[in-house]
Amino acid sequence: MEAFWDSIAAYNAATWLWQSVSIVVAAVLTSILWFRPRTWVKIAVKVYMVVVSLWIALVYYMKFGAVREYSSVLAIFWCLVAVAWIYDLATRFSTFQKSGKYRPWGVVMLFLPLAYPLISLARGLSFPEMATPMLPSAVALYMLGMLMAFNRKINFFAFIFIVHWAVIAISKIVIFNIPEDILLAAACLPAMFIFFREAARAAGKGCKPPVKYVELLILAVVVVVGACMVLEYV
Amino acid sequence: MTQEYVTQIADFITRYLSYMLGAGVHTSRVVRNSKRIGDALGVDVHIHTSQKTASLTVCEKGTSVMNTRIVDIPAFPISFEWNADLSALSWAAYDGKLSLEEINKRFEALVSKPRMNPVFVLFMASLANASFCRLFGGDIWAMLVTFTATLIGFFTRQHLTRKGVNHYIVFIISAFVASLCASTALSLGLKTAEIAIATSALYLVPGVPLINGVIDITDGHIQIGISRLVNALMLIVCIAIGMSATLMLVKDSLL
Repeated sequence: MEAFWDSIAAYNAATWLWQSVSIVVAAVLTSILWFRPRTWVKIAVKVYMVVVSLWIALVYYMKFGAVREYSSVLAIFWCLVAVAWIYDLATRFSTFQKSGKYRPWGVVMLFLPLAYPLISLARGLSFPEMATPMLPSAVALYMLGMLMAFNRKINFFAFIFIVHWAVIAISKIVIFNIPEDILLAAACLPAMFIFFREAARAAGKGCKPPVKYVELLILAVVVVVGACMVLEYV
Repeated sequence: MTQEYVTQIADFITRYLSYMLGAGVHTSRVVRNSKRIGDALGVDVHIHTSQKTASLTVCEKGTSVMNTRIVDIPAFPISFEWNADLSALSWAAYDGKLSLEEINKRFEALVSKPRMNPVFVLFMASLANASFCRLFGGDIWAMLVTFTATLIGFFTRQHLTRKGVNHYIVFIISAFVASLCASTALSLGLKTAEIAIATSALYLVPGVPLINGVIDITDGHIQIGISRLVNALMLIVCIAIGMSATLMLVKDSLL
């Protein structure tokens, strides 16, 4: 656990300026996409997702997290997240269009990464040994928020990678004493239900079993995953 | 029996056996069922099968009125439902002495049944892998990691298959992605992380071709049996390549 928090402290101390720039860029791009959506902004957001994923992989895990065991595995995982966004960029699959559904929920999720340092401060931690919006789980939460806020046609690869990361994050809550990651877990479960339900409905015409049973299955799985989290954490 | 009627029977049985072989039914059952339908319609059926094509001759009993066909075997997903339904159809044709028109009508109804919802399949495969993880001794976190790793791997497989990517490449990529995602459990220091890695690619194991290959060989259809086993072996090698890539990166710390 000590190595975990030491690496976070070293990362924050060395990169706080870059982290601040990245947060500003994210805020500007998200605002433009929200109020004045243009094709170039959609491309820029996807490029930003690629850059921020590679940042987590190369800077956070390969440079500052290198002292931790198996950090290279997590670096490769975040490279895969970057690949998911590059693939999306190349195929122009996700449209980043607002659908009207779940928008308030998406807005809340977009602001949740900013709560990471606040929770750390409330727990009595201080800079640099504290959670920031540029830690992997906060970045995953931002990506999830973007998918939720602009959910007409989403990058499903990126989404399931985030779901996997949420499971990893849940276990980190206990193992590394980082309760800030509860935010990701709490946001991910309803997102999991919503996105998989939408996918089941989209594919469900002329399929079996009837969509309502598939939805029940998804709900049951989400509830079981949530119960596992709660039981393990409590 | 006219030549035209024999041709119609040949048309139907050609289609019937191509659907059965394509859906992963073992050869002796396909041959048996096709011959049974032939018996019901008053013709002898002689079949030769290979991995990609099948040829058959339909001949009116006791005469020389015949028709020979060669057909490509389409690559359908493995379907136990078609296997059971189409076998039952052959018995219905034989026992009920159904007409060719009636058999054709029932066949169309059976093969037009709705397909499985891909999200349902995705979840069931992931749950199955998580259950395997538990059977092999994985704890709750290993099961959760296996579940989501399989979700990613299986979704990758579905997506690439839909895009028409070569299925050997699909297997390599899916095995790599699933096992790599499962290997993130190592970073948590889980005692059963290795079980999660091992079970994350189980959904790719080509069980049906392996079993069919052995059944075909023991039933004397040695040529197609060996073809099926070689095909299954190739798929297993692809899984091994994908998992080896992960293990080389993770365990041997190539990075």
